[in-house]
Amino acid sequence: MAGVALAGIKVVEYTTMVAGPYCGKLLADLGADVIKVEPPEGDPARAFGPFPDDKPHPEKSALFLYNNTSKRGITLNLKTAEGKELFTRLIQWADALIDNYPPGHLASIGFNDEVIQKLNPRLIHTSITPYGRTGPRAQVKGDELTLAHASGLGNLLPVRSVDTNRAPVKPGGFQIAYQSALNAAVVTMAALIGRGKTGKGRIIDVSMQEAIMGLLRPGIASSRYQRATWSRVPDRPPAMGRMKTSDGYLVLGAVEDNHFRILREMMGNPPWMAGDQWLNMAYRSHHLMDIAPMMDAWMEKQNMKEISEKLAKQGVPIGPINSIKDVMENKQYAFRHYFTEVEHPATGKYKYPGWPYLMTASPPQVSRPAPLLGQHNEEVICRELNYSREGYRQLRKSGAFRKIQR
Amino acid sequence: MKDNTLPLEGIRVGDFSWVWAGPFACMLLAMLGAEVIKVEGHKRTDLMRHSVIWPLADPAPANVPPNQGLAFNSVNMNKKSLTLDLSKPEGALLAKQLAAKCDIVIDNMRAGAMERVGLGYEALRKLRPDIIVLSSGSRGKEGPERDFPGYATIHNAIGGVAYVTGYPDDAPSTTVGDTDLMNATTAAFILLAALHHRMQTGEGQFIDYSQCEGVTSLAGEMALGYQMTGRIPERMGNAHPYYAPHNVYRCWGVDRWLALEIHSDIEFAALARVIGKPELAQGRRFKTMRARKRNERVLDRIIEEWTRQRDRDWMVNEFCQAGLAAAPSRDWQDIYADPHLRARDAFIKVQHPEIGPLELVGVPWKMSDYTPPPNRAPLLGEHNDYVLRRILGLTEQQVKELREKDVIN
Repeated sequence: MAGVALAGIKVVEYTTMVAGPYCGKLLADLGADVIKVEPPEGDPARAFGPFPDDKPHPEKSALFLYNNTSKRGITLNLKTAEGKELFTRLIQWADALIDNYPPGHLASIGFNDEVIQKLNPRLIHTSITPYGRTGPRAQVKGDELTLAHASGLGNLLPVRSVDTNRAPVKPGGFQIAYQSALNAAVVTMAALIGRGKTGKGRIIDVSMQEAIMGLLRPGIASSRYQRATWSRVPDRPPAMGRMKTSDGYLVLGAVEDNHFRILREMMGNPPWMAGDQWLNMAYRSHHLMDIAPMMDAWMEKQNMKEISEKLAKQGVPIGPINSIKDVMENKQYAFRHYFTEVEHPATGKYKYPGWPYLMTASPPQVSRPAPLLGQHNEEVICRELNYSREGYRQLRKSGAFRKIQR
Repeated sequence: MKDNTLPLEGIRVGDFSWVWAGPFACMLLAMLGAEVIKVEGHKRTDLMRHSVIWPLADPAPANVPPNQGLAFNSVNMNKKSLTLDLSKPEGALLAKQLAAKCDIVIDNMRAGAMERVGLGYEALRKLRPDIIVLSSGSRGKEGPERDFPGYATIHNAIGGVAYVTGYPDDAPSTTVGDTDLMNATTAAFILLAALHHRMQTGEGQFIDYSQCEGVTSLAGEMALGYQMTGRIPERMGNAHPYYAPHNVYRCWGVDRWLALEIHSDIEFAALARVIGKPELAQGRRFKTMRARKRNERVLDRIIEEWTRQRDRDWMVNEFCQAGLAAAPSRDWQDIYADPHLRARDAFIKVQHPEIGPLELVGVPWKMSDYTPPPNRAPLLGEHNDYVLRRILGLTEQQVKELREKDVIN
């Protein structure tokens, strides 16, 4: 048995790009019945790529394919009365509604909180927005770049910059959206579990900015109460952090005294770090800069993967800064069958990243590839919303599923 | 119906984890109403109890008392604290008895450590067949690298995200510890999914969590993109594959910056008006997204000429008023002052008996009929009597004996 942990949970997902879709994917890969509602032109992620051989194609976007596994997909033109009627019925069908449209969007098409709640008083409605639905910045637009910097993460990157004339940077990829999706999934699950007691639905407002701030909580508190000034150019901490090797970079965290001793032995006990004082963390934290250039010079002669493995085997925290290719070749990931092959009708087979959790009783799985645009229109309308074949044909003629031709 | 029913009321969690990743997972559950009991040895306490966040005026503060570490106080809110010396047989036995009264047990010790004190999944399952146990490790519990240790930055590196963070012509960059809390969020999610499964079927389970893999799961499009194009995704700084302008610009002052991202021609025309150069949106060089991307460097220079002479927060306000996505590159001291976050009650006020009043970052969600529990992190052993007597049913005398034997503090 697989993909069963959330069997029986019905989710409508009205989402775009990453934050909403990844939340839906988390639930869908565990067996929730997730129906993704796209506008007739499709989720913008379909136009985003990367694409096979760099040829844009709405069914072949890596971003869309990854974030929409295990879901069924329908298109709805929510400007038409028929489209609205179908959306109404989906809200009544669902246990949870996930949306990441800007605050006020659903209300503007006739589905404000009161309407939705009246349609389905048991519904858990999770809304993910850049700055949350309330407050003076609620209507401000925000995406990966601005939210990374608004939340206090970007300002610290790149860590150990040599050049302050260069601007701080965002983390790579879609980290802000993914983290927001995770928070949305946590609170949606909790609300679904809690609903059992009262039967009452909830409205959940997830702020992407606050999701990232939430990750920085220890540092934010320390900055305020200990008046520490953080910047992307700190002195070298007791842990060595990023170091350059002959063929790439790694992160070394020989923080504890015994880690440092092992490292010293690996370096051949050079005379400039021979004294016993170097095995004292407090001493190191004050004096490490004195020997940092020699350590760097030694490390630059090492091979990234070899030295990482050698030191890790002796219990020293260390890891190579892997490209995604390195990650896909990692032996430990292979042992845990982390990557999972998914066959999609338009692209064929690729290896998708799986899940960091191995579960003994209810493991996740990709139960189906990401939906083609409108692939499940008929199936969902007839099977879940109980329309007849004829009813479906009429809806199709009405333009409920497609762009209105002008 | 009672207002403010916390969704996880009635769920009990045994928290045998420490530092950041495990404790924050449990804190998320605690903020949603679970009763979380944090178990530490009073001699082997959570390191974060003594930890401040580097750097400080004194780079190695030696004597932070065990209740005053701000890192600890930030990631253990609304929990209860039990001290138990697990190396003593009495301590291990009590831990087992407690675990048997928990719905969920979580640890982030090294592979095999929980088994050695009799708290492995197989042992706990005999005491409570439907228990859910999550073991959160650097690389996972089995496999060729299962004994390799790691920290947040190392997981960020191994998982593939550090490689794409930074400037293309410079070194890659890890992030700053947030990877632990991200993994904690994933762990909290999967625990709730397992809890739902148990409520439906009565079946408990063991969850083996890899923090390196947690990073890679948030880079799915990169793995697929690499296979589709044969190209390894590289660092892009603040740039975007299609959008321009999309960068961080220097403002008036020392090390002051703002972020600006333009997603459409209409937005670009608005930007051009704000910086007093409406003609930019007309000419061939910048009219379309593709043209702007092609001439991005010139465009960035034009924008920065304007921003570098002006105040950051004033400009952000102007841009936002014009409907654009703009934000200051905030440092951490900035965050508490922000009126938007104030209006949203993004911080939780607690009264700490040793530190005094504290405002800590709250949870990133608002929920109807929900007020986040305003409780601080527990003092070391603060709930020993509650846990031992109320949950485990020990007598006052028995607790006293445990204290005398130095099993608890």
